[in-house]
Amino acid sequence: MGKGKRWGLGLAGIVAAGAVAVGVAVAPSAAAAPPLPPVSPEALVASVITAQPGPLNGTVTVDNELGLPALPNAPQLGNGTQTARVWSGGDGKGRVALPSSDGERTLVSDGTTRWTYDSTDRTATKAPAHRDGAGQPGHPGGTDPQTDPAGAATQLIADLRRTSTVSVDGTADVAGRSAYQLVLTPLPTERTLLREVRVAVDAEKRIPLQLTVLATGQPQPALTIGFSDLTFGPQDPSLFTFTPPPGTTVKDAPAPGQRPGPPVGAQAPKTVGDGWDRVVIAQKPATPPNQNRDEGDAPDLSRLGTPVSGPWGQGRLITTAVATAIVTNDGRIAAGAVPEQVLSEALGQ
Amino acid sequence: MTTSTAAATRTTAPLGRLLGAELRWVLRRPRTLVVLGLLGLVPLAIAIGIATTGGPSAGRGPGLVAQVAGNGFVLPVVALGLSLALLLPLAVASAGADAIAGEAATGTLRGLLLAPVGRLRLVVMKSAGVVTVAVLAVLVVAVVGMVAGTVVVGGAQGTLVTLSGTTLGVGEALGRIGLVAVWTVGQLLAVGAVALAISTLTEHPLVVLACVLGGLIVFGVLSAIPSLDWLQPVLLTTGFSAGTDVLRDPMPLDGLGSSTVRALVYVVLGLAVTAWRMRRRDA
Repeated sequence: MGKGKRWGLGLAGIVAAGAVAVGVAVAPSAAAAPPLPPVSPEALVASVITAQPGPLNGTVTVDNELGLPALPNAPQLGNGTQTARVWSGGDGKGRVALPSSDGERTLVSDGTTRWTYDSTDRTATKAPAHRDGAGQPGHPGGTDPQTDPAGAATQLIADLRRTSTVSVDGTADVAGRSAYQLVLTPLPTERTLLREVRVAVDAEKRIPLQLTVLATGQPQPALTIGFSDLTFGPQDPSLFTFTPPPGTTVKDAPAPGQRPGPPVGAQAPKTVGDGWDRVVIAQKPATPPNQNRDEGDAPDLSRLGTPVSGPWGQGRLITTAVATAIVTNDGRIAAGAVPEQVLSEALGQ
Repeated sequence: MTTSTAAATRTTAPLGRLLGAELRWVLRRPRTLVVLGLLGLVPLAIAIGIATTGGPSAGRGPGLVAQVAGNGFVLPVVALGLSLALLLPLAVASAGADAIAGEAATGTLRGLLLAPVGRLRLVVMKSAGVVTVAVLAVLVVAVVGMVAGTVVVGGAQGTLVTLSGTTLGVGEALGRIGLVAVWTVGQLLAVGAVALAISTLTEHPLVVLACVLGGLIVFGVLSAIPSLDWLQPVLLTTGFSAGTDVLRDPMPLDGLGSSTVRALVYVVLGLAVTAWRMRRRDA
């Protein structure tokens, strides 16, 4: 039946058009590289250090293809895409929402107090906020980046140049904004699994927009963390306050000094090597690292990986796309963005 | 057309009367009423379960249902989310199955096709019946959820505690519930349109039910396979979890928006197939 066949073709066309329409409506569009004036890596890094982006909000997407083994208690580290919604007041105040299918973790900092709220157990944890930026306890290096950004940037780039090629390689479009691509490539002498690390820096506001990690032998990035949506502008001040809702358990976080870092009794981790083939060797704690936290934070490593042996003894080898780790039977953990052989040599030292 | 000329030269029945007849026909079916009544039991069961086992200090453990404890305004949202998985599609699919395949099975479709009613009007009329069932089903779940949430569970001082840890007043809470209800109707219309389309292709109402519910289950299985990630934007069930977003603050609209667009595409496709089949159908 000719007419029916033609209609069938039409139906197929409608379905295809519908699929494309849905795809366009859902997927972000990729744009061509925008033209931007050239900039040196030193100037770019210096401008990042001094950047004052002001209030902003956006969505950060983590595209994880690291190939981490599926840990029983930490499935969120496995391959996949995670999103976080972020708001920044530009003055030390901020809010981060980590949505999951059946709840949300919310982090709010009003400049003096940092709140963490977990909707699944309805607990709010309170901690004093650090004024000098969370997660950055201090920059290594001789110069203070706040007072001498150009010097700090030059020193940072000089340090990096001893082991890497640093360049500003073209431009990119990230979350609809023009960005410079700062590219770090390991020197040929470096024995590493990484091929390239790219940082996209916003051309106007000079904040990092995206971090891309590429591993050797893989065309697709192993890890992409970056804004998928970003808007600069004043934010609602009520976003940066938090009042524990009724029915919430309010806890005080442990004092900041004792929370991070190795537990009491463990040796400080030692590093072997320098640059890209640096290997960190740590002592596996005999007890769970922190009894105050949930069991979900301490995944059981004993059943992962494949057995290996070397001059250093016996252990288990865990490989991912960008890093390798060996957990020895005598409780040492060696890890780095290096092949197994380098770990083995480091353990033997 | 004006009324006077229409009355003089009318060859077709007025749409209003047709719609009235169709709605009476749909709503008089005992199975429709039974399904609507059973849907009302979903929020009631959750409320009673929370009230008897949980008490005010519940809310431990994962799962969205735990959010209901001491937070009654969440109940309609959770109940709608739970029922959207299978129960609400079942109600809408059975309406769609009865609309055309059911009439074909009992032989009454012949009369409709011979009646002085345009085939497109017939589709509009039958769609209206399905839309009514979808709206009523969502209303039943939402309203019973509201009442049970307020009376049985009780609110957190008359407010809604969002997943983000903020509290919303009564007005905004009702707005959020209304939004999720409208969004749920949108998703159900997509299911209904597909059910109508299948309904025109068969004479057995059970085939329609089996296809729609089986399709939803297959979609769920497909979306759970990591290597079929690229299928996600096309699957209707991908967006079904977006209703939870109304419990977040500030409310993200992209999930609700994209799932509504996806549902609209399904509605257009389903109605196109229905209209095509009905226009060509022999009496």
